[in-house]
Amino acid sequence: MKYKTKEAIVGYLFATPIILTVLVFTIYPIVAAFYYSLTDYQPLEARKYTYIFNPYDALEIHTGILRKEARNYTIDEMLEYFDPVSFVEIDVGVKLGEEEKKLIKEYFDSLNLLNDYREGKLPNEIKIADFMKRYMYKHGDRFTKYIPRFVGLKNFKDMLKDMYFYTSFWNALLYSIIVVPIQTLLAIILAVAANSKIKGVNFFKSVFFLPAITSSAALSMIFWLIYSKPGVLNKILVALFGRFGFQPVDYLNEPRIALFAIMAMNIWSTAGYFMVTFLAGLQDIPSSIYEAARIDGANGWQIFWKVTLPLLRPQIVFVSIMGTIGCMQVFDQIYFLIRNLRNITISFYIYKNAFEYGKMGYASALAVVLFGVILVLSLVQRKIIKEEY
Amino acid sequence: MKKLLVVLLAVVLTVGLFAVTKITISGWPGNPIEEGAIKKAVDTFNSTIGKQKGIEVVWEPIAGDYKQVLMTRLSGGTGPDIFYVDVYVFEELAKANVLLPLDTYVKRDNFDLSDFYQSLIDAFKYQNRLYGIAKDFSTLAVWFNKEIFDKYKVPYLTNDETWDSFLKKLQQLKAAGYETPLALAPDFNRVIPFIISFGGRLVKPDLSTALGEANSKKAIQFYIDLVTKYKVAKEPSALGSGWLGEAIATEKCAVVMEGPWTIGFMKGSFPDTFKKMGIVEMPKGIKKATMIYTVAWSINRATPNKDAAWEVLKFLVTEGQQIFVEGAGVLASRKSIAAKDTDPVKKVFYKGAEYGVPWKVSTPTGLFATANDQINSLLKDLFYQKLTVDEAIKIIETNYDKWIGKEK
Repeated sequence: MKYKTKEAIVGYLFATPIILTVLVFTIYPIVAAFYYSLTDYQPLEARKYTYIFNPYDALEIHTGILRKEARNYTIDEMLEYFDPVSFVEIDVGVKLGEEEKKLIKEYFDSLNLLNDYREGKLPNEIKIADFMKRYMYKHGDRFTKYIPRFVGLKNFKDMLKDMYFYTSFWNALLYSIIVVPIQTLLAIILAVAANSKIKGVNFFKSVFFLPAITSSAALSMIFWLIYSKPGVLNKILVALFGRFGFQPVDYLNEPRIALFAIMAMNIWSTAGYFMVTFLAGLQDIPSSIYEAARIDGANGWQIFWKVTLPLLRPQIVFVSIMGTIGCMQVFDQIYFLIRNLRNITISFYIYKNAFEYGKMGYASALAVVLFGVILVLSLVQRKIIKEEY
Repeated sequence: MKKLLVVLLAVVLTVGLFAVTKITISGWPGNPIEEGAIKKAVDTFNSTIGKQKGIEVVWEPIAGDYKQVLMTRLSGGTGPDIFYVDVYVFEELAKANVLLPLDTYVKRDNFDLSDFYQSLIDAFKYQNRLYGIAKDFSTLAVWFNKEIFDKYKVPYLTNDETWDSFLKKLQQLKAAGYETPLALAPDFNRVIPFIISFGGRLVKPDLSTALGEANSKKAIQFYIDLVTKYKVAKEPSALGSGWLGEAIATEKCAVVMEGPWTIGFMKGSFPDTFKKMGIVEMPKGIKKATMIYTVAWSINRATPNKDAAWEVLKFLVTEGQQIFVEGAGVLASRKSIAAKDTDPVKKVFYKGAEYGVPWKVSTPTGLFATANDQINSLLKDLFYQKLTVDEAIKIIETNYDKWIGKEK
């Protein structure tokens, strides 16, 4: 074997654990989401053929003929009480599609089943899949594994008619448009402040960073208290502006304000996190450049705009892309604090559809759209703020 | 010889251990008192019937979003053997065939269903098959703070209030200077008693929505008017409370419509306020109405131990229920246990079983979750006057089929 191939094999062998992990936990779910977005996948039905049931009980209930009395009836008499489609759907208990109903109508071996029932040849317990295989002349294999129905682009078409798709999508977009620039700018300002040589700078750094390491559930609870109608924020505002006619506002329940209240909370909690990125960037800027600028007679303002900001460009690209992704996917604060469908964001809507409404296919389609939008936004951002190195 | 004995003993022990059938039961933990009662029931079972029949029950509560977690676990094949099914999601689960039909077991053991309130048995039937047995139930009644009524010199609310006289008393409170007499939630299920008592209905016989009908609409209008026109009510969050029970317990309002679950909560956390409470039946319109909330124990269709699960379920709705009723202050779904429950506070709630309607909206698809969310969201908008009732009803009527998943 050539040395090069040998080296490649060894290399891949070493990388196998991570390749497998990425394949199983990242690539496969993404591909699956794309696939499910084209189907009407119902998670609750996924196991419908694996249930074990008692065919005697099912037949007793369906025909009304008791097991021990079955011998007294002829097959023809029994057939009168027997309808394969409703038997499978209700008594065996399998939700059927139109096509499956047709197959059962045509190929179900009622005669054989009733004969076995009469002669007591049925097993006491059997898996639905095995039962169907046994009593279908043909196409028994169609009833062994749940295959979601392929619906093409229907989920995507439904979206166009779904008012809450627009609302939640617009909310996420609005959220990003407002939050990303402000949090980026704020993070830069915090970083410059934290980078200056003032007393107790480490204390400030920790304080700025504190919200980033607090769990969003805890933050949400605190802000719930701040934002509630008899809460702290209203108390302060009434004390300050009460005499100008300020009325307390229920920030999280007033549909026009709720989303903005969440934005303010999010800006406050993430600015510190991104500050760290800018801080690293600032410390990478050689002091000789600042010296040169100062010798040329630049003042502090000019240095910030002409030296610091341009040299922070790679960090700005990174922060704005990460910020946009985070904002478009904002979920936890909405989940904890928002009770009105008017103010939800797209990822919360995805969650609702997938786990509450049982519409996994539609949720996957929404996720695919969100994926596409974030991809495009990231590419556009990279185009606008070019990395020049 | 001794060694052999030890080995033999070990073998017997292991076999004995493996012979125990483990049945997991799940529900939401509720408040500590409620969970305590369930744990006590489980312990009682394990030390009596369980020991005889080799069944061990394990209580595995699901905290947080119960429905979502349960559905995910059921679809992954890791669902509990027995679990709570709220009547409100019952049809959805029954339709998806994840619940075990109990009819054959009931017949086999001659299990007496006639001892249960009929409305509670019917609530868990789908296509004429029984999929769960009510663990208990709750109804709504009017709670009011006697101290506040005394202070503002307004006569107490009674069991024979009409909506007009009810409103009048609230307005008297307001006129006397009490800012927010009533707390109301923008939740559809709380509007249902209004709709029924105004002579309206939720669905037409063909299961399409009947919210646009004159009486239903009048009821919704009245509910909203309490907030926007008469300004005698606010939602709990506007009073700084998480829910209605908390609002009345912390004396942020004088009146709420709440269920018996508030008894345990108040006794535990606000015993002083609880002493000031008066509890009376819901006001009536054309007729009396209240909401019946009920939760059943159902068996997972995929459980490998169906017979053992049925044994456990039987215990939970008989002796187990006795323990819940005594411990957690819930209402018994069995008439024989209800008859023994002489707690005077609960009397009003038991009375509601006579004229209440279960919290369930029948739809052709079995799905109501989306519609419920949407209607709640509209109610919220109505509370904030972003919409008129006519506009809201128009939105409901146009979108209803889509929300219940009927439109293809």
